[in-house]
Amino acid sequence: MSADTTQRYRSKVTERTINTVQPEADMPAKIDDSTWQPGTEKRSLSLGTTTLLLGGACAIGFGVVSAVEAVLGYFDSYPITATVLGSLLAGFVLCMLTLVGREAKGFMNVNKHLSRQLDYQALEQTSDKAALLASLKRHASSFSAHSYAARCYKTFTQALNSDVSAQEALALYQRTVVKPVDKRAQEVINKESMTAGSLTFISPNHLIQTLMIVWISFRTIRRVAQVYGLRPGTLGNWQLFKVLAQNIAAQSIFDLATDEVANQISGSLTARFMENSAEAVAAGALNVRLGKALMKLLR
Amino acid sequence: MRDWLKQMMQPVQQVSSQGMSQVDAWFLQERHRFTITGLSRSGKSMLFTSLMTILKYRSEEKYNCLPLLESLPMELVDHMRIEPLPGYAMFPADAHLQALESGHWPAPTEQAYGFKLIVRLRQTGNIKKLLMPYTDVVFEFIDYPGEWITDMPMLGKSFSQWSDSAWAQQASEPQKHYSSAWHAFVEGFDFEQPPTREAVLEVVSEYRRYLQHAKAHGISMLQPGSFLIDGSGFDWRAEGFAPLPAKITSDISHPWYKAFAQHYAAFQDNWLTPLKESTFRETDKQIILVDLFEGLNHSRQHLYQLKETLSHLAETFVYGNPGWFARNVLRQRQIGRVAFVATKTDLIPESQKPALLSLLQQITEGAVAKFADKPIQFEHFLVSAMQTTDSGEHDNALRYTNPAGAYVEANFEPLPSTLKDMESDAHYPVLQAQVPKDHLPRMLNGRGLDRLFEFLLNQEA
Ligand SMILES: Nc1nc2c(ncn2[C@@H]2O[C@H](COP(=O)(O)OP(=O)(O)O)[C@@H](O)[C@H]2O)c(=O)[nH]1
Ligand SMILES: [Mg+2]
Repeated sequence: MSADTTQRYRSKVTERTINTVQPEADMPAKIDDSTWQPGTEKRSLSLGTTTLLLGGACAIGFGVVSAVEAVLGYFDSYPITATVLGSLLAGFVLCMLTLVGREAKGFMNVNKHLSRQLDYQALEQTSDKAALLASLKRHASSFSAHSYAARCYKTFTQALNSDVSAQEALALYQRTVVKPVDKRAQEVINKESMTAGSLTFISPNHLIQTLMIVWISFRTIRRVAQVYGLRPGTLGNWQLFKVLAQNIAAQSIFDLATDEVANQISGSLTARFMENSAEAVAAGALNVRLGKALMKLLR
Repeated sequence: MRDWLKQMMQPVQQVSSQGMSQVDAWFLQERHRFTITGLSRSGKSMLFTSLMTILKYRSEEKYNCLPLLESLPMELVDHMRIEPLPGYAMFPADAHLQALESGHWPAPTEQAYGFKLIVRLRQTGNIKKLLMPYTDVVFEFIDYPGEWITDMPMLGKSFSQWSDSAWAQQASEPQKHYSSAWHAFVEGFDFEQPPTREAVLEVVSEYRRYLQHAKAHGISMLQPGSFLIDGSGFDWRAEGFAPLPAKITSDISHPWYKAFAQHYAAFQDNWLTPLKESTFRETDKQIILVDLFEGLNHSRQHLYQLKETLSHLAETFVYGNPGWFARNVLRQRQIGRVAFVATKTDLIPESQKPALLSLLQQITEGAVAKFADKPIQFEHFLVSAMQTTDSGEHDNALRYTNPAGAYVEANFEPLPSTLKDMESDAHYPVLQAQVPKDHLPRMLNGRGLDRLFEFLLNQEA
């Protein structure tokens, strides 16, 4: 600045020296791109494996029984085989019930947070950045510490700077939290539904099949909720229960119908195969339906 | 930090020597050509340097920067690289980073520079993934000194027309504060002597001294700006000219008039015309950098003449370049986009930014009016390539390290949000912020680049 400018014009900036050195700026945060894993409890995993093994054993056992039955014709009782099969089946059913019980408990926990939804329409109108960030923060406080949603939210807050306006922040939240979390939930549902289908396909009888579906359904709910990062609570939620009950009922009716069709075609191997495939597809589809209902509730 | 530039260039040179097939180029590339213009010292070099650095740290080390740059989502960026742009000198990013590291601002560089920055994005869709495993987003950056572009309107004027208008400008505010020495020189000069090489050089040198003096005091409406820039392809020493008082320009048989008119024609034919043809070749996106602090530092009059300069600059895009305009805009291949960008916004407190934005809008009004009925979208942005300051005690204060090395708190009276509101006897001295030692995080914390490039990259109308 030149001397003549200083003389002619009055300065609108005043300065004073402060007796500190300029603070060092921090590097921006890095994005955490390690793959996110839902927290798994060791015990339930090994129990799951046991169940699967038992289930597999059952399928084989039943296969053997029918083969033996076919060979031996009308002999109706073989005590040793019956005992083995009976205990296998009993073990399997017991484990299955335990699993279902666990998942059901987890499911109860999920429900507390279902009422906590963000009012996006109201947020889209606001230009008050502080208020907007506060309500996003309040919402995010229900995410449990290691959930995928909590991680996305952290990335979101790290990206924010003084320059970002309220609506830009909201768009950023949608893009970096809502969308990836939904996508991850969708992936979980797809995977779980595949499992539902596969298990239905291999399950040898209706009892086991129904138990499997109940288990997978609860598990889907828990895993999806885990993605959304909801903390445990205690209340129940009827909307989800309704979908769940409808699913199980639908599956049972479908089972009966396919049974009937299989009978009509006569009990050949192909008929059996077709019946199981149809049920598997139905089980998968119903699980997707459950997942979608849940996503809608959690968002 | 500088080595990464070399590393990035190496694989590229291999690939480009094998040559990417044309088919690949069609399917796998998305090209954006940007032209960045701004008067010298408006912050072009820093903007490029910062952009390269931020994109690099963002794509390779996953630093969470440029959050609003949705068109280049961080999770899809595979890598980025830099290539030379054929026909242009390579942008000396290396030298600039070196300067920053040793605590200096990049040395003024005055010629046209270009480079390509290629960002490779992974494909997301499953089918697309098979057909096109990636997309390259190619940015082509060209950096022209604004002084060349503000000379373009001289193509449409004869020597006497130009001379008369330039003379008139020098006699009015704010230029007249700086032109007295030059006018006194002309008064005392003997124009009866023949225009020998030496005599011409004497006049032109004196005129150039005026141009330099006025420029140093924040005047931007200076022609020919090309005389100020050593990289210009025109030798002002051999074929210079200067505006002359009307008593000479009105007599077309005057030897001095004849000599200057001849040099003026050579300037048009040998310098401006080829420049015009090579400028804006295929560009559909213009970034016009504006340093408002230069004006605020001096006076309201300075801001008014900056407004006039910008209007001339915009005129050049629309009327001065039928090639660019016809190819890109009239044929509607793409909507032209123009971004007016106020730079160095770290030099005012956060609370003053709305006022600065509104000032920018007003100062570019004349430029905007030039494409009022054209299919050109424009928007205004505030950008800092480096966040050299920290927030102060109050909303209207900020802190920075001054040239003496002291950490200082500067208190701002509210900035005017219109030219009218700027008091004619007041000014806002620009803070002489130094390059801080922690310049890397401060570059990564630069503001507004994401919003700017999102506007330019986003394909939706
Ligand atoms: N505080 C601050 N100063 C800047 C910034 N960008 C540029 N400058 C200053 O402006 C001067 C000119 O910048 P430069 O990029 O060389 O301008 P160019 O001539 O248009 O290339 C630099 O030397 C710096 O002093 C910025 O983002 N913040
Ligand atoms: Mg430069």
